Amino acid sequence: MRGNAGRENAFSRLHPAVLMTFFLSELLLTVFLPHPVLQAEALVGGLLFCLLLWGGEFLRELGFYLPLFVLVALTNPLFSHNGVTPLFFLNGNPVTWEALLYGIFLAVSVTGVLFWCKAYSRVMTSDKFLYLFGKVAPRLSLVLSVALRFLPAYLAQSKRVERAQKGVGLYAGESFTDRIKNRLRVFVAMVSWSTENAMEVSASMKGRGYGKKGRTNFSLFKFTSADGVFLALILSLTALTLCGAAAGMKNFAFYPRVSRVELSPVSFAACLSFGLQSLLPALWEGKERILWKYYVSKI
Amino acid sequence: MKFKGKRGAEGGAFRKKFFWKKDFLLLFGLILVLAVLIHGTEIQSVEEYYLLHLDDVTPESETVTLSITCQTVFEHEKVLDPALREGDLLPSDGVILPPTEYVLREGDTVFDILSRAVRHEKIQMEFQGADKSPFGSVYIQGIHWLYEFSCGPLSGWMYRVDGEFPQCGCSRYSLHDGQCVEWIYTCELGKDIGAEWMGGQR
Repeated sequence: MRGNAGRENAFSRLHPAVLMTFFLSELLLTVFLPHPVLQAEALVGGLLFCLLLWGGEFLRELGFYLPLFVLVALTNPLFSHNGVTPLFFLNGNPVTWEALLYGIFLAVSVTGVLFWCKAYSRVMTSDKFLYLFGKVAPRLSLVLSVALRFLPAYLAQSKRVERAQKGVGLYAGESFTDRIKNRLRVFVAMVSWSTENAMEVSASMKGRGYGKKGRTNFSLFKFTSADGVFLALILSLTALTLCGAAAGMKNFAFYPRVSRVELSPVSFAACLSFGLQSLLPALWEGKERILWKYYVSKI
Repeated sequence: MKFKGKRGAEGGAFRKKFFWKKDFLLLFGLILVLAVLIHGTEIQSVEEYYLLHLDDVTPESETVTLSITCQTVFEHEKVLDPALREGDLLPSDGVILPPTEYVLREGDTVFDILSRAVRHEKIQMEFQGADKSPFGSVYIQGIHWLYEFSCGPLSGWMYRVDGEFPQCGCSRYSLHDGQCVEWIYTCELGKDIGAEWMGGQR
């Protein structure tokens, strides 16, 4: 029996070491390989996985990511004037097609990384993180897990404060300006809460003897053969992608002229392997869900 | 109880009205900011930007000669940005603009002549405005897609007037009749093109 039996998604039931390897590889490759095909694959993979994890809730959140995408894409051509194809001139400076393409590329990259970070926070819960690193570096791993958990916990608490204030009957104004004022008031309360909370967490962990010898973990994870297969798959796919990077994929340039997407066997294999790696969580998740539906139908 | 309820309803209506006013104020402020932004922005099409016709050189007009070269790049090809190496982006002889005569207008600086010339010859150029530079002068970041740092960490554009490298920015140097302006690309902070004062020997 796995530690987190209550979680509904299949991918997060894999061993923490496998999950950590996957997220590290995915995020590092996305950040450090500036190739449009790889970035697009990371974006699509992250989008699909997030959709499977959150469903309709995530669709509503796209209302934030879509404007962000457009904003990032349009900001770059305003500040970067390199490129061989001017579209028009703004205050005597060219706004070029290449700068626009680079802006879109940046937007794809940024939103892709954001999606994967979002999925990470859902899948790699703090008990898994502490299971992996609690023994090796107790202090660092506690600080990291508190820091990574900070934003979601902060949002949840601020919603709670807001609801409480509304329940009391305060700050129920309908106008936009009033809503901003209310948010600010909640924010002030949240600042004191977050500092206090961080102190409380560390005191409580100390009280439980965290970092002492002979202390066991809250959740126990067993490394199964399925985990082994996954780990081998992830590592070999990453190696293939890195081969493509070494063969010159990392030299893709947007300025002054957009490079051509190479169609050599090595880069083709790299694109294929990174695409498979990015789709892996969504595929696994989808497969398990279909199986579950199938079993339920047989009952 | 009845009285209280009535009063509350009236208060609500009053509040609603008042808040709408506040929202309108906010909207008005936003529109004002946008208007200022749009007013301060000049949008030109490609045809409008490139000058098709310059002042004609007549016997009585004052002129200066301008040239733009980047021969040093070919001595440092190893550190040149790979994106610039391929194809025919840079001229093989390093001459982006051969020495050409341009009419000097009253009070023209080196920057005025350069910007007029690149608009006429359709050469790409990017600069940092005088307001953004600590030296109070325009700084030329790149010409013909060749930017500062495109060819090693010590590379960038410098200008020479009648064989001397002036010690001020290009929008602060006023020109006279018959002067010769050269824009030269350096890969060694001026050392490779003869600007000793910046090369670090003194």
